[in-house]
Amino acid sequence: MWLENGCSKDINMPEIILQHITHCYGDKEVLNNFSYSFEQGGTTCLLGPSGCGKTTVLRLIAGLERPSSGVIKIDGVKVSEKGVILIPPHQRQVGFVFQDLALWPHFSVYKNIAFALKESKEANIKEKIFEWLELFGISDKARKYPHQLSGGQKQMVAIARSLVLQPKILLMDEPLANIDAHLKERILGHLKDIQRQQQFTMLYVTHDQKEAMNTGDYIVVMNAGKIAAAGSKEEVSRSSSEFVKSFLKT
Amino acid sequence: MDRAIVRHIIRMVPSLLLFLLLGLPLVLLLLQWLSGEDKSALLSSISRETLVLVGKSLLISGIVALLATFTGTVCGFILYKLRFAFIGIYKVALLLPLLISPYIFAVAWKDGFFWLFGNNAAIYSDAGVILVHTIVFFPLAMLITGSALSQVDAGYEEAGLMLMPFRKMVVKIVLPLIRPALTISFLLILIFSLSDFSVPAFFGVRTFTTEIFTQFSALYNFPLAIGQSVLLLFICLLLMLAEARYLSDAPFFSVSVKGGVSKKYNIQKRQALFHALLWLLLIMVLLMPVFMLGIQSLSGRTLFFREAWILMRPAALQSVKLALSGTLLLTSVGLWTAYAKDRMGNRLPNVLLLLTFIVPSTVLGIALIRYYNLSAMNFIYGTTAILLLAYLGKFGFIASRIIGNGIRQIPVSLEESALVMGIPSWKIFVKINLPLLVPSLFAAFVLSFILSLGELGVTMLVYPPGMELMPVKTFTISANAPEALTSSMTLINLGVTIALIALFFVAGKWLFKRYQYA
Repeated sequence: MWLENGCSKDINMPEIILQHITHCYGDKEVLNNFSYSFEQGGTTCLLGPSGCGKTTVLRLIAGLERPSSGVIKIDGVKVSEKGVILIPPHQRQVGFVFQDLALWPHFSVYKNIAFALKESKEANIKEKIFEWLELFGISDKARKYPHQLSGGQKQMVAIARSLVLQPKILLMDEPLANIDAHLKERILGHLKDIQRQQQFTMLYVTHDQKEAMNTGDYIVVMNAGKIAAAGSKEEVSRSSSEFVKSFLKT
Repeated sequence: MDRAIVRHIIRMVPSLLLFLLLGLPLVLLLLQWLSGEDKSALLSSISRETLVLVGKSLLISGIVALLATFTGTVCGFILYKLRFAFIGIYKVALLLPLLISPYIFAVAWKDGFFWLFGNNAAIYSDAGVILVHTIVFFPLAMLITGSALSQVDAGYEEAGLMLMPFRKMVVKIVLPLIRPALTISFLLILIFSLSDFSVPAFFGVRTFTTEIFTQFSALYNFPLAIGQSVLLLFICLLLMLAEARYLSDAPFFSVSVKGGVSKKYNIQKRQALFHALLWLLLIMVLLMPVFMLGIQSLSGRTLFFREAWILMRPAALQSVKLALSGTLLLTSVGLWTAYAKDRMGNRLPNVLLLLTFIVPSTVLGIALIRYYNLSAMNFIYGTTAILLLAYLGKFGFIASRIIGNGIRQIPVSLEESALVMGIPSWKIFVKINLPLLVPSLFAAFVLSFILSLGELGVTMLVYPPGMELMPVKTFTISANAPEALTSSMTLINLGVTIALIALFFVAGKWLFKRYQYA
């Protein structure tokens, strides 16, 4: 089966299943009996107002949080279960682009990308890094430090760093929130091309409905820790939920 | 056994060890007081005479706290909210008195007073203690309020300026916003002034702390000294309860605050006035004391410097060596407690260090002596280990918070992104956290070193026999030696301290430039 963006649904692209997930930070419940099966391949956008639990969903899938209750499965394998991380983050074949990008400020662009590759004992590290930097058009910035880069360049380094280990799932937590529309479109274009070549599943968190509609193959609209609507773009825009209607209108 | 439980137990072992080394002596002091056979000592520790002495000490320290907080807040406002030339130099110079032992200022001001007014004994009074303590402790208020002022969001001030004039905005908006800083500054100075025994002892003023010291060291009335120590301990703990949470985080012990959005004001017309004000303060707190010590050193018939240097050299060397060992311990424990609190959610070690930090030096000293003065513990009590523990108790909290505030400024996502990529935890700590913490580690190292070098309160009580240390030597010799010799020794002591601060300042400038990432 081929998706709109050219990605195929096949066994290499894991299905991500969250079953009855409840998650709390202290006394505050951020996810309430959240269940959803993220489609293999393509891009699913998690859309919703601030504080609705979008980032928490990504962090749970990455293994950075333990669910208070419920089960998470990736590719049919249980990775987290009520309060327990069964598979640690680095064994989940997941890439994560954080909202603040999390570029290590004391490492150059080259070393930011090389750090993970060296750990995984990859061969031809230098060639691989420059391949990725060239793909994003920033190979001349390899020796620069993060604070010497523009906002867009930082974002491209962060994305390159998370993709260099060839993850099967890419989790993006509003990484393009603070850049202009033109640059955002360019970076997303790059990302779509790479996704087509590398065949990974992408979960993209945003609170901007236009961005979600432009980026996602599937949309999950969240409100107060629950799913308000989910499905293809068309299905979501036809939702009868008052919240979804008003959220998509604004 | 479940691996998580084993891991939890392993994590608790260092906390337990810290409690056994520093917390238990204080608990046992309390228990000793409660279970004392001599109940009259228990009662006499809260007798009318004692309570009057406590009242007098609280009054002196209260005046010091008010004056120092006021002066420190004014300086903090000028240096952290206004924009004019040489602010960095003023900040460093005005912070120096905090790093120099209070008794050095006592000697210097006595010299100054004698030089100005002849051998007038007026300085040997409550007013003398208030003057010296205010000078020594106002930089603490400056540091705390300055740090709070630089974290006030510019938006609040600008919104206020749309509605009211500048002065009213400061009173109605800025000052209420930094209320916790003002309170903590007042309380900390009150406690530090109440705890210090060197200045009242030098000026011959009887305070509660000197009384405890006399009862313990001179009259060997241990039950009474313990009873009074417990009373002082309670007073300090009660005072600190009000703002314990703010103090526990101590945001003012910080190398720098990234991403500050504080508003700074340009001053055009009154630049000269502010410079004059700061210079006046600099003269009072730094230049005058150094000048007076110099004058007094040269006033004797013989030049006492040579004799003072011969007396001080072994003590200075031993002090520097001991302070270095103490600093290594403080920085390591500080790093561990900070990481435990700010990344692992284990607050216990931090609370323990906070407790020993606010406990007066005399009380901590007595608690350590009562706990470690056993033949089985002689490997601690009879060696420098007891001094290292004392330094850890007195300054471990400062080191921990400087490093902790550094850790808090490292986004957790930097560690998480490495974790997702499969970097092992130890490597994340070594390769990501440690390099980013270099400025904080260095600041903690320097402060711990300077403070350990000048510590007198606990050192005086617990230093092992045969050991010569700079502050103890200067202080004890001042009772019998000619004034010029005392001043020469104090000047050498001050000179060593300032030279080391200058050395660290230069090293720090290079280091901060190298490791500060914008």
